[in-house]
This record gives sequence, C-alpha cells and structure tokens, in this order.
Amino acid sequence: MLEIRNLHATVAGKDILKGLDLTVRAGEVHAIMGPNGSGKSTLAHVLAGREGYAVTQGTVRFEGKNLLELPPEARACEGLFLGFQYPVEIPGVSNLTLLKAALNAQRKHRGAPEIDATDFLVWVRECARVMGIDPKMLSRGVNEGFSGGEKKRNEILQMLVLQPRLAILDETDSGLDIDALKVVAEGINRLRAPQRAFVLVTHYQRLLDYVQPDFVHVLAGGRIVKSGGPELARELEEKGYGWLEAA
Amino acid sequence: MSVASYAQVFERCAAAWPAAQRRARRAKLEEFLRLGFPTRKLEDWRYTDLSALAERSFEPARRTAVALQDALLPRSDRLVYVNGELDRNASTADELSALVQTETPGATGVDALNAAFATPGLNLALGPHARLARPLHLILAGAANPQAAMTHQRHRIHLGQAAEAVLLVEFRGAAGGDRLVTQTFDIRLAPGSRLRLYRLQDEAAGSQLISRMDARLARDARIDIVCLDRGCGLARHDLNLELAEPGAEVELAGFYQPAAGAHLDNHTRIVHAAPHGRSRELFKGIVGEKSRAVFNGKIVVSPGAQKTDSEQRVANLLLAPRAEVDAKPELEIYADDVKCAHGATVGQLDETALAYLRSRGIADSDARALLRRAFALEVLDRIAWPALRDRAALLLGYPPPAETALEP
Ligand SMILES: Nc1ncnc2c1ncn2[C@@H]1O[C@H](COP(=O)(O)OP(=O)(O)O)[C@@H](O)[C@H]1O
Ligand SMILES: [Mg+2]
Repeated sequence: MLEIRNLHATVAGKDILKGLDLTVRAGEVHAIMGPNGSGKSTLAHVLAGREGYAVTQGTVRFEGKNLLELPPEARACEGLFLGFQYPVEIPGVSNLTLLKAALNAQRKHRGAPEIDATDFLVWVRECARVMGIDPKMLSRGVNEGFSGGEKKRNEILQMLVLQPRLAILDETDSGLDIDALKVVAEGINRLRAPQRAFVLVTHYQRLLDYVQPDFVHVLAGGRIVKSGGPELARELEEKGYGWLEAA
Repeated sequence: MSVASYAQVFERCAAAWPAAQRRARRAKLEEFLRLGFPTRKLEDWRYTDLSALAERSFEPARRTAVALQDALLPRSDRLVYVNGELDRNASTADELSALVQTETPGATGVDALNAAFATPGLNLALGPHARLARPLHLILAGAANPQAAMTHQRHRIHLGQAAEAVLLVEFRGAAGGDRLVTQTFDIRLAPGSRLRLYRLQDEAAGSQLISRMDARLARDARIDIVCLDRGCGLARHDLNLELAEPGAEVELAGFYQPAAGAHLDNHTRIVHAAPHGRSRELFKGIVGEKSRAVFNGKIVVSPGAQKTDSEQRVANLLLAPRAEVDAKPELEIYADDVKCAHGATVGQLDETALAYLRSRGIADSDARALLRRAFALEVLDRIAWPALRDRAALLLGYPPPAETALEP
C-alpha cells in the first residue's frame, strides 16, 4: 500500500529526514516511536503533502501511484488521512461544513454523486456517537473552543466519516486521559479492516495496549533505526531511546 | 478646476423649482462652486480622488425601467427610487417620500452640490413609542441614461422617544451607464429610541456614489448598523455617529469586498460627546485583484465623556499582489476615565487552516472560498433579518451551506 524508499526531506533548509525506508501493506498497523524532534511529524506532513516540506531524494508510492507528485487534496481523495498532532481551529467553517465538503470532494474524485443530505447527517451522527462527541459541537467552527482531548477525538471522527485507506495518526493519543484514549482506540479499531492500514505515531505504549500494532519502528535522526514487533514498544517504554541512539 | 458645467445644468433645472426653493438652492450651488469637489489635499480625501468629476458634465438622471425582483424581501415595505425618481408602482410606502432640506454639519463641496440639486427622498418620522410595523426597504436604484447622468437625494429619519424602526438602505445599479450619485441622510434618534439600519451597496461599475449619513443619538438611544459593500466603480461613504447624550449605544459592523476595478472608501466617525456611551465597531474587508479599499475609522471621546466604553476592530484580507487597502484607525481621546480598545490587521488567508482543509480532500480553490466565507460571516451574522442575511450572503458569493444543524 505504502512504499517509502530512501526518503530525504528538508524543512526550512534543514535536513530532517535522511534516508527513510518504510513499507506498509494493507491490513497492517505500524507504530512509529522516537524521540522528540526526530522527524515523525515531518514524515507525516511530507506524506500528506504539506507545503514547505521539500523532498530532496527518494520515492513514495501509495497504491502503486507516485504520491509525491499529487497535491495534498488529491492524496486525501486517494484515501490518505493525516490525523494532526496539532489540529487547527477554523472559526466560521463548521465541522459539518468541513465534513460535507471533504466527503463530497472525495466522492467526486471517485466519480460518485454528492451524498444525500439526510444520509450525510445520519452517517455523521453515527460517527459522532462512537466518538462521544455531542452533535451540537459539530455545528460550531472546526475545533473552535475544543479542549485538547476534544480536538483529538474530532480528528478520529473525521477519519471515521471519511473512511480512508491509510490513516497516519500523529500523536493522537498525546494529552488524552484514559477514557478519551479508549474512545480514540475504539474509533481506530472500528476502522481496522484487511483493505486498510494505519501508521500510529506515538510516544507511549498506552495506545498500543488498545490498538495492537503489527510492527513497531523507531525513528531517530531522520531514519528508521530499528524495527520489530509489539515487544519493541514495551522495550522502549522501559529503556527509553538512549540505547538506540548510542548504538 | 472648473465645475462650470454644474452651474449650467442648475440654470436649466431652476425653472422647474418653486421660487421659494430657488434662493436656498442657489446659495448651495454657489457654495459648491466655491468649494468644488474635495481634493486629495484634504486629509479626509487623501485616498479617494474626485477631481476628475470637476471636468465632467452630468445631466439630471431620468427614471427608466429597472429589474428589482432579486431585491424584493418578503414582509417588508418598500420605497423605490430609480435614478432619483419615485417609482410608485414598485413602492408600498410612497407616502414617506418628501423633499427634505436639512443643514448638513461640516459641509463639503459634495454636500453643497447635493443640497443644490436635491430631489425628494425618504422622510420617516415616528412619534413617541411608535414602531414601524415592518422593516422598511429603501431602494435607491440607478440605471443607464443616454448621457452621463446625476442623482442627488436627501433623506430624513427621525425617531421619537422610544420609537423603533428597521431600515434597509440599498444602493443598487444596473450595469452600463455613467452616473454620479450623492445621497445624504439625516438621522435623529430621540431618547430611548432604537434604529436597526442596514446599508447595502451593490452598484454597477459605471457609477460614482457618494453617501453621507449623520446620526445623532439622544439619551439611551441605540443604533445597530451593518454596512455591506461590493461592486461599484467608486463608492465613498461617510458615516458620522454622535452619541450626544448619556447612555447612547452604537453597534456598527461593516464588510466590503470591492470587485475588480472598484474603489471603496468607508469613513466612519463615532463621537462620544456625553458620558456612559458605548460603541462597538467592526469593519472587515476582502480586497482582491486590481481593487482598492479605504477604511478610516475615527473615534472621538470629547472632554467630559467619562465612562465611555468603545471598541474598534478592523481586519482586511489582501488576496492579490495588486490589491490595495488603506486602513486607518484614528483615536482622539480627551477624557481620562474611559475604556477604548482598537486593533487593525491586514493579512492573507490562514495558511495553516488552508492546509488542514486541503488535507481532507477539499480543493484549494474551495478551501479558500470556505475561509473567505468564514471571514465574512462574522459580519454577515450580525444581520438580524434572515431574508436579508441570506440575500446579502448570496450577493457577496457566500451562499449558506445546506448542512447547518445536526439536531434531530
Ligand atoms: N516548520 C518548521 N520550521 C523549522 N523547523 C521545523 C519545522 N517543523 C519542524 N522543524 C524541525 O524539524 C525537526 C523535526 O521535527 P518534527 O518532525 O516535528 O519532530 P517530531 O514530530 O518527531 O517531534 C525538529 O528539529 C524541528 O525543530
Ligand atoms: Mg511531532
């Protein structure tokens, strides 16, 4: 599904990613861990096509397509979803407006007609229920006045509504209390399917207790320096990253 | 500077006026000939150049047929003028039409010109505790005449004690033609009265509109104003609000979005002349390719106007390299026990928000439109008249989204 080869990327003229390789197949859940500043969010933004992140070397193929030549909206329409580490507040654009515009843009891309207004509301209400989000909040501006935890749940709500094929969730678990964490995990697990894949960027074993990863990678210094199974996450939790960086 | 053509037109019109009016009009004409059009040397006219008008010649405009269907708002009364002439068929409140001659404080050449040629306009006078049953929609429409044509009207809105009214003043123009239009409004609000005033400008490219509103608020009177501007060749609005007695309140919001080639100039002046006044002002603008906006917002707190509570906020989005905006807040505070806050910004669409929307699959152009709409909504949402709000949103290119609520 996703094949990253020798990826180099710079931000503001600074080399951040320095030869990163990663392969994600349909049905898999990958966790990426690593120290602060190692380039995890940079990787997520490069994959999503954020402006200002320049790829200087390497290739990324998504479902066989050259991902790097697509504008961000086309990547989303192809089924890529990024859960932001810092979700953005957009007063004046309601959550519903965003969801409907996004859903219809993605349908248009697939050649499907616009979603029926009632079907849309029923669908969004169902997703909001799963995420424990009061439907009233959806009439408010995107993330406007939401608490940190609400913003993270709202990211997962958007993911549930849009049903992406590959979701990259950047520290969606950070700053959540245990109840909110369970809700977020429930949202992710609900979407798990043989044709879908996830990349979870996280600092903590906690989330991985609820969402079992197939692979765990350590990103340090702009590259994947170690990969393993779920046991690697537990090892990292105990020992930290020092032993890897030293190696 | 030569404004001689205006004197010639005056002589031709004079015969039609009653002798009693002629003298006063002639005095105004002479004042105009002396003052001429304001030049850019005047601080208040630095960014809006009317000097070309001096060399021009305009015939008095004549009424022609115009389409008004799109302007009609349900459950409201209408007073319609086309090129300054009353359209009785289109009006439901034609009894409110009258020739009103009032002195304009601090007159410029344009005010004198307006008074010299003034034709009848709205004359709304409500007695104590009276209330307009329905919102009143004053339509001041312009349409092409064979020659360049001019319209000058004066209007009066006087609300008695605790009277209430909702008024929409709409400047609109059919495409084509070359017009000079001046419109003057004398607004007086007696103690405890309340006026909701909407000013909507959707003139055509060939028009040059100069409007002036002077409102005086007595004790505890309140005025809520929403001003919307789009289109037009050149529009200059002066809005002067005087909180003349204690406890008066002003809630003013404006939004402008000049079309390509347009020049929009909003001058507002809020004078706190008495204690315990409250004013809130918000003006926002979106300025795109080859258009220009000017905003000047003056707040004056006179000596003795203690406990004044005043806030002004101005925000502009500049969306093209060749767009231009001159936004200037001006505060003159001569009292010490007051609260006055103000802020002005000029910026672009929020790139972070744009990236977020695009990351969800929304095309760049659609995402930008959503953000422009979000910016405009803060003002549009102040319109407490739903039919007008929807119409204004549509006019400015921000139709309401279908999905507004998720309530069962
Ligand atoms: N917009 C930016 N401008 C300059 N430097 C940036 C920017 N974004 C990230 N960086 C830098 O890139 C490095 C990697 O950051 P990031 O990818 O956010 O790390 P992580 O998510 O692993 O904590 C850091 O040194 C950070 O300071
Ligand atoms: Mg990060």
